[in-house]
Amino acid sequence: MGMKVGIPKETGAEEKRVALTPETAGRIQKLGYDLQIESGAGEAANFSDDAYRDAGVEVLPNADAIWSGADIVMKVQQPSMEEAAKLQAGKTLISFIWPAQNEDLVARLKAQNPHAVLAMDQVPRISRAQKLDALSSMANIAGYRAVVEAANNFGRFFTGQVTAAGKVPPAKVLVIGAGVAGLAAIGAARSMGAIVRSFDIRPEVAEQIESMGAEFLFLDFDNTDSGTEGGYAKPSSPEFREKQLELFRAQAPDVDIVITTALIPGRPAPELWTKDMVEAMKPGSVIVDLAAEQGGNCALTVKGERVVTPNDVTIIGYTDMASRMAAQSSQLYGTNLRHMLDDLTPEKDGQPVVNMEDAVLRGCTVIKDGEVTYPPPAVSTSVAPKAAAPKKVEETAEEKAAREAAELRKAGGRTTMLLVVGSVLLLALGMVAPQSFMQHFIVFVLACFVGFYVIWNVAHSLHTPLMAITNAVSSIIIVGALLQIGSSNTLVMILAALSILMASVNIFGGFLVTRRMLAMFQKS
Amino acid sequence: MSIGLVSAAYVVAAILFILALGGLSNQEKAKRAIWYGIIGMALAIVATVAGPGVANLPLIVVMIAIGGIAGWFVAKKVQMTQMPELVAGFHSLVGLAAVFIGINAHLEMERALAAKGTGTAAELAGFAATIAKKTPVELGILKVELFLGILIGAITFTGSIIAYGKLAGKLSSNALTLPGRHAINLAAFAACFILGFLYLDGAGLWTMILVAIIAGLIGCHLILAIGGADMPVVVSMLNSYSGWAAAAIGFTLGNDLLIVVGALVGASGAILSYIMCKGMNRSFVSVILGGWGGSTGGAQQEVEGEMIPTNVDTVVQQLDDADSVVFVPGYGLAVAQAQGAVSELTKKLRAKGKEVRFAIHPVAGRLPGHMNVLLAEAKVPYDYVLEMEEINDDFPETDFVMILGANDIVNPSAQDDPNSPIAGMPVLEVWKAKNVVISKRGQGKGYSGVENPLFFKDNSRMLYGDAKDSLDAILKQMD
Repeated sequence: MGMKVGIPKETGAEEKRVALTPETAGRIQKLGYDLQIESGAGEAANFSDDAYRDAGVEVLPNADAIWSGADIVMKVQQPSMEEAAKLQAGKTLISFIWPAQNEDLVARLKAQNPHAVLAMDQVPRISRAQKLDALSSMANIAGYRAVVEAANNFGRFFTGQVTAAGKVPPAKVLVIGAGVAGLAAIGAARSMGAIVRSFDIRPEVAEQIESMGAEFLFLDFDNTDSGTEGGYAKPSSPEFREKQLELFRAQAPDVDIVITTALIPGRPAPELWTKDMVEAMKPGSVIVDLAAEQGGNCALTVKGERVVTPNDVTIIGYTDMASRMAAQSSQLYGTNLRHMLDDLTPEKDGQPVVNMEDAVLRGCTVIKDGEVTYPPPAVSTSVAPKAAAPKKVEETAEEKAAREAAELRKAGGRTTMLLVVGSVLLLALGMVAPQSFMQHFIVFVLACFVGFYVIWNVAHSLHTPLMAITNAVSSIIIVGALLQIGSSNTLVMILAALSILMASVNIFGGFLVTRRMLAMFQKS
Repeated sequence: MSIGLVSAAYVVAAILFILALGGLSNQEKAKRAIWYGIIGMALAIVATVAGPGVANLPLIVVMIAIGGIAGWFVAKKVQMTQMPELVAGFHSLVGLAAVFIGINAHLEMERALAAKGTGTAAELAGFAATIAKKTPVELGILKVELFLGILIGAITFTGSIIAYGKLAGKLSSNALTLPGRHAINLAAFAACFILGFLYLDGAGLWTMILVAIIAGLIGCHLILAIGGADMPVVVSMLNSYSGWAAAAIGFTLGNDLLIVVGALVGASGAILSYIMCKGMNRSFVSVILGGWGGSTGGAQQEVEGEMIPTNVDTVVQQLDDADSVVFVPGYGLAVAQAQGAVSELTKKLRAKGKEVRFAIHPVAGRLPGHMNVLLAEAKVPYDYVLEMEEINDDFPETDFVMILGANDIVNPSAQDDPNSPIAGMPVLEVWKAKNVVISKRGQGKGYSGVENPLFFKDNSRMLYGDAKDSLDAILKQMD
């Protein structure tokens, strides 16, 4: 019997998303879970209760039924304090948590002594975890929506046109910060026909920016410690910041739309678009500040509001971009959750296993068995360039010839040594050994040499058959047993008979196996 | 049959055996070569039985019949993937036979000397009769030969059984490294030689039986101490030992055919071991003494980055896009029994006009040439199957390389990292290809226990799962 997964209606004001869609429901059921959803949870995202029922999800009348009945509760937004109080001991919560910003919430959740709390905002940024990276999927939607909002508030076309009624210049869009949201914004603005420029403090994303069709604004600054920390941009030095602002100041009078997406996790958003820049912009311009939640990249942003400055610049500080496209974002977030459950349920038996050895699950887990496990140990993501292997020195023809000659001399010297030592040993042996032995010994030494020369020519691919055939041949020892079996001593006869038996197993088995092997080799 | 005729038959048999081994220089000749071996063996047995001094013919026939049927049965039934352990198991039989024959020789010698003492030597027949004619010096040499035959035979016997156990997966394939293992071996050998001297001095059969027991323990310990990746060398080394044991017995019995064939087998096994050690860039001595040789004097390079998994759909796409494909099979292919699936895939890709080839490393698998045999079993034509030297230069122009259950033989640290235990071992340079997919059961290390930086390269993707399941899934997708 699989565990129950419950989805309560989001309680946050204006939150339209839902953690389960009818489509993801089917996939989650395949993992062995039973699903329950609060009535009306998907209404705002255009998923009716009936659609859920059709997908086999049990619809319960209120949130309390979910919180008390389900073993795993999945949400979109971080739970409110009231919701946190409903989390029962031994249960699991999967949702956005933002543990660094919400210490009170984490403490409250811990007090409930849950089995585990997994934060979808803490998915490590490694390739394997991409499929459950909810921040990326939400950022992607936010980036797209930012362009839509900008277009909605912008009084002109994005694309340039030459019409009978006159020429229309294309809009110029500046995207600051080329993370997932920034790149999505670039893509959306480009496909509407605007001229797009973009800036990011990480020079290595220039390629990605250009691949989306935007122009990368290059900042000539020797910034050795730029780079990333867990896949995100790091804060920059004051000198660098000055340079950066200078660059933006030059852009301000020229661009029509500014979309800012610069965020540094766990810190207030950096102020990149100052008051004087806003004042320098043309009337009718639009600024969309996707960092509004963390204080905004623009000095004049009001969190969650649309404001118009005295010089007629519209500044949009909405923090619910993803929620404004609830159907799409629920679908993507639901899929992220589905992948999370997939990772949690290796046996597909509806029994979640919070494996703390797994880097991804370890990273997401904020509370485990009543203990706070945040922050997780650092995970290194990008491949550090390795020191180049020392290049092999190309040798010239003369050097090669000299080396080969030296090797030949060395080999020749070795052979001579061996011959001398061997001869001396043989002479010494000949002095003591009787003639009958020496006769056999000559045969032995010659046979060794024959074996030596014959085997060098054997094809590599036939080494296994060679081994099988030499194995068969070595059962020639049967001859010794045959010579002894005629003895009148019973013990000798028995031992000889056994030897014959064993050797014949070898003869027949060895040759047959070799034949089987060789028969298989065929030319095309 | 007179002695002269028997000797003539022996000469012919010896020549046939040489032709049999020499004939393995190419696949077409090899099929004929095996018949040389069979005829040679038949000739040797018939000549010996028909020769002077052999009695008890019915018993001989019964024993050969039973043994023959048993051997036939085993060889028919065995799967091609079980070849390595079969060959190792067969070796143990030769070793044990050598021990028995050695003990017999001693018993016969005592009987002959006793008869000589009582003056009834003229009544003796066969081997005992020849001994009775020997001088004291010759008897001394006989004892030395007998001692060597028993010593080598016993080592071969137990060593082969351990090798069989390791290859069949019945024993752990890890190297057993007892403290002071070299000292243990040395002490055991010393004990054997002391017993040998006692024997020469006139001590009885008990010394030889003790030698057989101690040598048996040495055999166990020697092979237990050799790690899994070195098993191919071990099998061919045991092959060599069984030859030397036969040669030693040949000396004891004064039989030139045994000496010639024993030396032939002994030398061929030794050369094969040497060739393989060269393929792994390891010294022969360090292989036989077991464990990974010596300290490497420095830390291995840390491997950074992560293994990126891929899936069947992507691999099918990549195969579709590729013009040239190379498969690199390893022991994992044999374990998964995936040779049939890869052969099927090869046919399909070839039918689409793609160049598909196989790259075989000299020590891939658990026997030299193991992969060739497996692919041959699956009817992959051998002209698609290339050796390391033949294909290594082609990797930069190859679109897609798929590694099937191989690890150490495609490890770039053999070239890049002088502190790696496998440094200097020639490897297949698969990382130079455009895309590399590694089919692997898990994230574990190879047989040598060395981390493989190939898996972390930008153009490498991991396809986790059993090789056969993965290939079957790919085949299904291709349709």
